[in-house]
Amino acid sequence: MTPPPIQTLNAEALSGRLQQLAQGAGIQQWDLGASCSTDTSVQVDRGEAKQMKGAQRSAITLRVWNRDGLVGITSTSDLSDSGLARALTGARDASAFGNAEETPAFSPLATAPLTPLEQPLHEPQPILTLLDTLKQAERQLLDRHVAISTVPYNGLAQRSSERLYLNSEGACRHQTLTTASLYLYARAEEAGRKPRSSGAVRLAYGTSELDIAGCIEEAAERTISHLDYAPIETGHYTCVFSPEAFLDLIGAFSSLFNARAVLDGVSLSHRDSLGDSVAVPFLSIRDNGLHPGNVGASAFDGEGTPTTPLHLVDGGVLKNFLHSEATARAFGVAPTGHAGMGAKVSVGADWFEIGATPGSSGGQQGLDRFNHSGPIVVIDSLSALHAGVKASQGSFSLPFDGWLVQAGGSRSIEAATVAGDIRTLLQAIVGFEGLAKITPDGLCPYVWVEGLSITGEA
Amino acid sequence: MADAFDQSWMLRLEGLLASGRAAGADLVEIFLERTDHLGVLAEQDTITNVSPAFGMGAGIRVFLGDRDGFVSTNDLSDRGLLQALEQALGMLGLIRTSTASNNFEGLQVMRDFAATKIDWLDRCPSLAEATLKLLEGTSRLDHHGSHLQARRGSYSRDWQSVLVAASDGTFARDIRLHQSLGLNVLAADGDHRAGLGRRYGTSDRPDDLRRWDADAAAQEVCSSVGTMLYAEYVEAGQMPAVLANRFGGVIFHEACGHLLETTQVERGTTPFAEMVGQTIAHEAVTAIDEGLSDGAFGSLSMDDEGMEPQRTVLIENGVLKRFLSDRAGELRTGHGRTGSGRRQGHTFAAASRMRNTFIAAGPHTPEQLIGSVDKGLYCKSMGGGSVGPTGQFNFAVEEGYLIENGQLTKPVKGATLIGEAKEVMPRISMCANDLELAAGFCGSVSGSIFVTVGQPHIKVDSITVGGR
Repeated sequence: MTPPPIQTLNAEALSGRLQQLAQGAGIQQWDLGASCSTDTSVQVDRGEAKQMKGAQRSAITLRVWNRDGLVGITSTSDLSDSGLARALTGARDASAFGNAEETPAFSPLATAPLTPLEQPLHEPQPILTLLDTLKQAERQLLDRHVAISTVPYNGLAQRSSERLYLNSEGACRHQTLTTASLYLYARAEEAGRKPRSSGAVRLAYGTSELDIAGCIEEAAERTISHLDYAPIETGHYTCVFSPEAFLDLIGAFSSLFNARAVLDGVSLSHRDSLGDSVAVPFLSIRDNGLHPGNVGASAFDGEGTPTTPLHLVDGGVLKNFLHSEATARAFGVAPTGHAGMGAKVSVGADWFEIGATPGSSGGQQGLDRFNHSGPIVVIDSLSALHAGVKASQGSFSLPFDGWLVQAGGSRSIEAATVAGDIRTLLQAIVGFEGLAKITPDGLCPYVWVEGLSITGEA
Repeated sequence: MADAFDQSWMLRLEGLLASGRAAGADLVEIFLERTDHLGVLAEQDTITNVSPAFGMGAGIRVFLGDRDGFVSTNDLSDRGLLQALEQALGMLGLIRTSTASNNFEGLQVMRDFAATKIDWLDRCPSLAEATLKLLEGTSRLDHHGSHLQARRGSYSRDWQSVLVAASDGTFARDIRLHQSLGLNVLAADGDHRAGLGRRYGTSDRPDDLRRWDADAAAQEVCSSVGTMLYAEYVEAGQMPAVLANRFGGVIFHEACGHLLETTQVERGTTPFAEMVGQTIAHEAVTAIDEGLSDGAFGSLSMDDEGMEPQRTVLIENGVLKRFLSDRAGELRTGHGRTGSGRRQGHTFAAASRMRNTFIAAGPHTPEQLIGSVDKGLYCKSMGGGSVGPTGQFNFAVEEGYLIENGQLTKPVKGATLIGEAKEVMPRISMCANDLELAAGFCGSVSGSIFVTVGQPHIKVDSITVGGR
């Protein structure tokens, strides 16, 4: 069966209803973010359907300014007239507690032109087709190695969605998107040895575009590569972060670049940190939500500001912060397109591009882990970032999956953690290995870092 | 004011359930939900965010054999619910027909767990009262702390009305209320930085915010961060560890509790699947999961499948006694339901999940545990953790101290405990007599839910401590 057609957001009708309700409530200024989506997904277990899910979701966040200019918000999944009226009342009540010291305003860029995005729309596939596709993928992964006994975490999902931003001054942003995702996480075990697991993920604009073979191949290779494992001795090692692991780490410490965190005093950066040397002089970090590799990119943020690329670190120097309207006003710059929506507006990164600064010198390019004199720890994936990263302190202590490379050979590490300080790490980057790889979180090559502390069980 | 569900839904739901059965489903279950949430944030001495939210929706699950299809929707109209049912049936190759069902005998008399809770939302503190209480908290942080760069207080109130109806006759409604308060600080002095927080939470106590002792909570947070501000990084290695009571129980929750959910048995990801009746832990360990403790964050009047919760002994004197199970878990693994079918909301199908989970008190004093260690780590406060698909776990230690010659000495930071459940459970060799519970949130297959973790002080004979 084919999923039901997507619910649609009628911007004109929604705007008209809200304008009417707002006038009745004596509210002159308002804006809203709305979304609706239709999802279908399947999971399998050894050739059988494990779970099939569908969902129709809708939600709005409504923000109003009261007579004193203070802001209140309310969110709801009830888009009926009564739901909107109740949301308006809730937002007005909340505005009595608005923060007079920092009141958000409409983004001056909420009506600026948007950069067109190449995002082809795909018709959803019938869920039983998704099921067959995933069963085949699971079978092929199980067949790759006798030790792979199950694929305990797997899923094939597709989504059709719409986003909307409206405000009482006539701004109207609208985006329609379809996406699909596949994840395969295999478990392998050999007699007398501990079970090992690893996996892979793929994203695309539709299920027909998913690189299923690549996902199976990567999940199999990664899982098999961890079968032969050994404990590692505790000590300091030169480490090579995979693109995924390094992007995870930078993402966990993105408060370094976040103007909201700076103003709140919970960032390692300060208002006057722009221009500081924060990394080796050949490192570049750019936020670029518009990169073609960013599947599901948003054309605008929660305040309607267009998404735009922004250099955060260039030549090792901190160049810019990510901003909402309110933080941009506080810093005397333009919003950068990284805002959420709220009475206190959150700020977040989109999608990182990390690599060498063009024209810079000092960093070693083309490093090769198999052609290096000493032992090297390859950090393939990091775990438990929510618990092991102290973003406001700079420290991290994280479990990882990876390999010890020495004497031209590579062996999986049984269980270990990597610990350090992000400021020290950014100054201890040696260079890059391989070409930059596109991942769901950004674009990055393998990154070599000297002298990180590894705790093992040897 | 959010509306609670009531008896008037009975006929509509019976029609849907009969349709599902007539189409050939073995069982159809409908979960209806309305929510009313309030979040308030205070920073320094200002309220910086008030975020009300309300919602509604339905989750419809259809079983055929041991397979199931699940559809959620925000649309509670007849048309919306029917469309969701048809989609769920279609996932299993079933088609709704106009034929009347003779396989459905109607819903039972509604079991009403909500009747005494209808006024709970009205009895909660007003928004004005909540903001004042939070500002009292951040003010007391300022009073008790030094070198504080950021002070935060947060309050969250979650009201949920649910109605569960299933084609086996199950028909029950409930109202849930969870409130939590948190205080967080970041202290900085030159190059020294430390940040930590404490959270307090209860269920089903509308007055609870009023009872909260803001001064005592602020004093505890400031004392801890003041100690940790100048702490040195812990030296990595294998060592014995003593974990404090209350939130120290997260180690059992993550390292073992998740592996005793039938969800893990279904996936083949628990090493304990075939070990009921066998010793899996040190004989000092008895572990319990229950949904009954008065006011505890993980307590329930009924689970999200309409079943009343139980007190489930998971491990008794080291021997595995039983698993936590939900409807699907019982169907697919044979482990009987324990009133543990839980979900974040209507967008998730229920799964076997923990409620209030704790290691039972033992015979020792905390001092005896610490006194038995020559050189090790005392974990006064844990900062959260996770468990991987093969049972490996990790926990961040938020506040730690070295144990040297049976005494607590200097504070240390940056410690992570890592290991595997199967290996660490036999190493919990001593339990103290000071069991206490702590509120928390658990994220897993059926979303983020309210839980309690707990334990007395426990001693782990040897564990890997990650550090610098």
